[in-house]
Amino acid sequence: MKNPLRKRLLRELRSDFGKYAVIFLLLVLSISEISGFLVAAESMIAAYDESFEKYNIEDGNFTAEEKMSPRRIRAAEELGISVYELFYSDQPAAGGQTIRIFKMRDAINRACLMEGRFPEAENEIALDRMFADNNRLKSGDTIEIGGKDRYISGLVAMSDYSTMFENNNDMMFDSKMFGVSVVTPEAFSQIREEDLIWRYAWKYDEFPATTAEEIDVSGALAYDLNRIVPLTGFVPRYANQAIMFTGDDIGSDRAGMTMFLYIIIVIIAFVFTVTTSNTIVKEAGVIGTLRSMGYTKKELVRHFMTMPVIVSLAAALTGNVLGYTVLKKVNADLYYRSYSLPTYVTLWNANAFIETTVVPLVLMLVINFLILSMKLRYSPLQFLRRDLTRKKKSRAVRLPRFMPFFSRFRLRIFFQNISNYVLLLVGILFANTLLMFGLMFPDVLQNYQDSVGDDMLVEHQYVLQLPAGAVDEDNKVSSILEMLYFQSEVDTENDDAEKFSAYTLKTLKTRWIKDDEVLLYGIVPESRYIDLSLQEGDIYISESFAEKEMLSPGDAFTMKEVYEDDTYDFTVTGIYPYHSAMCIVMRQDDLNEMFDLGDETFSGYFSATPITDISRQYIGQEIDYSSLTKVSRQLMISMGSMMNVVDAFAVIMFVIMIYLMSKIIIEKNAQSISMTKILGYSDSEIGRLYILVTSIYVIAVMVLSIPPVSVAIQWLFTVIIRMEMSGWIPFRISNSVYRTMILMGSVSYLLIAALEYRKVRGVPMGDALKNTE
Amino acid sequence: MFLEVKGIKKGFGEGTSRVEVLKGIDLELERGEFCVLLGPSGSGKSTLLNIIGGIDSADEGDIFIGGEPMGKMNEKQLTMYRRQHLGYIFQMYNLIPNLTVRENIEVGAYLSKNALNIDEILETLGLTEHAGKLPNQLSGGQQQRTAIGRAIVKNPDILLCDEPTGALDYKTSKEILKLIETVNQTYGNTVVMVTHNDAIKNMADRVIRLRDGQVRDNKVNTAKIPAEELEW
Repeated sequence: MKNPLRKRLLRELRSDFGKYAVIFLLLVLSISEISGFLVAAESMIAAYDESFEKYNIEDGNFTAEEKMSPRRIRAAEELGISVYELFYSDQPAAGGQTIRIFKMRDAINRACLMEGRFPEAENEIALDRMFADNNRLKSGDTIEIGGKDRYISGLVAMSDYSTMFENNNDMMFDSKMFGVSVVTPEAFSQIREEDLIWRYAWKYDEFPATTAEEIDVSGALAYDLNRIVPLTGFVPRYANQAIMFTGDDIGSDRAGMTMFLYIIIVIIAFVFTVTTSNTIVKEAGVIGTLRSMGYTKKELVRHFMTMPVIVSLAAALTGNVLGYTVLKKVNADLYYRSYSLPTYVTLWNANAFIETTVVPLVLMLVINFLILSMKLRYSPLQFLRRDLTRKKKSRAVRLPRFMPFFSRFRLRIFFQNISNYVLLLVGILFANTLLMFGLMFPDVLQNYQDSVGDDMLVEHQYVLQLPAGAVDEDNKVSSILEMLYFQSEVDTENDDAEKFSAYTLKTLKTRWIKDDEVLLYGIVPESRYIDLSLQEGDIYISESFAEKEMLSPGDAFTMKEVYEDDTYDFTVTGIYPYHSAMCIVMRQDDLNEMFDLGDETFSGYFSATPITDISRQYIGQEIDYSSLTKVSRQLMISMGSMMNVVDAFAVIMFVIMIYLMSKIIIEKNAQSISMTKILGYSDSEIGRLYILVTSIYVIAVMVLSIPPVSVAIQWLFTVIIRMEMSGWIPFRISNSVYRTMILMGSVSYLLIAALEYRKVRGVPMGDALKNTE
Repeated sequence: MFLEVKGIKKGFGEGTSRVEVLKGIDLELERGEFCVLLGPSGSGKSTLLNIIGGIDSADEGDIFIGGEPMGKMNEKQLTMYRRQHLGYIFQMYNLIPNLTVRENIEVGAYLSKNALNIDEILETLGLTEHAGKLPNQLSGGQQQRTAIGRAIVKNPDILLCDEPTGALDYKTSKEILKLIETVNQTYGNTVVMVTHNDAIKNMADRVIRLRDGQVRDNKVNTAKIPAEELEW
């Protein structure tokens, strides 16, 4: 005979459908999102990994100062590589974007056609799919590039540009203002030679066995190639952010996402245990009878666990189905907003199944088992006598007599339901944390972007790029000639221009702070743009550097060469009020001396107006508003829609927690509510007793939780930025974030309060007189 | 002897506030005997019933069922003992609110390897037409009959009844007593019934009076009358 107690389950489900429905919904939402995320990430990463072979991705690329002759290419290939032309031209589009135009590739770095067709006519172009999406372009549209109208024949994913790094040393990629494209060889031949960049890709004849070996081999290759042709750029694949960043990033937040799911599962497991504990208290007599008849504790634990497990199991399965279908697409689209990935095939993901089904079920089982075993530990006699507390007889909390009766009544309700209110506190804190995270993220980025405009050192900074030939130590004569030529080429007539020296060092990586490449400025005395009167040996650091590295005046810190192990020690003299970039300011002669640059050496210009008389090939980096806001702009694109999802989830979580807890409180007090009705209290008075206490509590928790949640979020944000991001974004949030939080919370609560009031009104007076035992 | 109670002592509290509820109880019952435990409130009759039922423990003494001592049983064994040998009827019906009458009886049947036929029991208890109803659709008497059905369906060796008519009116109480009598006669279970209603002693085979935790009187009722004829 099957245990007849199981017949209760369906009836329990029917009679308490609302409760189980919202729990189910919350579980399905979380599980499907995480399952979708994991499936999308794994499928995408598989497609990405596969693309190396499928599209024959380069082992590295180098940029030559001039086009290589066939003889030079042969000489390069004798170094154990095959060399492929990868010429391009960066052209401005009508919307201010930069579009990198390549010739159609069929040998290396092939493109994956995502929509439409490859270009066939001279006026046709196949644009990067993500760039098109982010700029609302589609195949069939026409776009003006470099003053020419081009018909978009199709959208592609270029295998060597899964992430849109315009320059490999950029702090962040830019999927909105920078895009790549291919045109027919005929169309490409129309581009003027002086607009072309002589880039070549290479493939090793024999790929180095390990990354360490790859680093060694590529180092030697750079040296050897530079002897064949002067190089202005050299990027082996392992260091190519446009290729490798995607692989490093996709799925990197996996741990965070699964942890998020587990927190929700734990909260829901506790919601279940609170509701079951109430049932146990309510049915103490029945449980005592069952135990005295011979039902074992184990049978009863199993019985009370069945519902949470069934609901979780059903939610996990539904969540997985949704995860593999709808949510996978949603998550894949999120990746497609940040990365230009080829088409992918959905892969069955055993890990996702374990993480979103097995682990949540085990968590649910373990928590319910432990709590229920504890709740059912009492003897049959204790259940029969309803003696279910450890403390002998709990004394009523003393309340002052002068307190109005209603207030005392409400406080009694509060004390009686303290465990529910504790769980509600946890739920609101969690939901508020999520909500604040979702709301603050775009706000912080916006504030950062706004502040960059007011806070720039100068409107334009140009960091010059020395040709590779100018530092050829084996050929001093040619090197000096090259340098002289360079110096004559980088002179400017612009009166606003002010020379500075610059050097890039790297901060030391610690467990908690990611290493950063930091520009050291050596400024002239009485600089027009930097308001500092520097003494010899003074070291000023920008405010963002000070915040990220947690440095104050007087502190010592060490930095190292970017590609070598030499270190330099500094002591902070002061902090320069500049937030937009991490940098160090010192006297030009100090900097030149420190790095043996020579007295007359300078590395770039500050200027209030654009400098137009220096060839772009000598400008390594231009620092302006657009480049300084690249990080925040890209984060906004990558994370913006995700934050909306987080907000929505937080509100749902908030509503569900309040709904469940207030429902339990009202149900627990149904008999008292019924009795107060018999005594003649009106519905509104009862509402003031039983609903107002929850209202006051919810609003108090909501408001009071803002400072600690804000501190926690700030901490979390700064930790993430310190550990994961290059550069620094200060945590500044507007008051509107708090106002929106309270508004969203209050509106959600009003909805629940209306439902509660309906429930209170629905409690029949007969309840108080009924003895169902 | 089927049920032997030997030297049972039980007290509650500690130090000066300690109260000795049972001060050494000895009694013996034959299989199938109908025994009524009488006594005023606080005399220890419910405590004794709970100790016999294995849901409370004695400070001293032991209970023997068919010669087997209960004192050495651990919690698991005690649960098995209750499962195999005992049926409980309380003053409070303690029915499962979202199970029907039949299903509440099945809850008892589930525990037994040789459960009685549920339809027969429903018939005996006059519950056939109410079999599909939930407890809140029943009167107090019907609920108590369901509780009796739940207790006897597993055909227990011993049926322990703690004030089974305590919450019922005269007419319904008599109906319930008649049912317990029928069950005792039909299935031959040993019945131990705790009551403070003196009139009920007349339907018992044996009447034991407790006062101040001691057996004041223990005698076989030679003038046994059917429950039908009880008056109070």
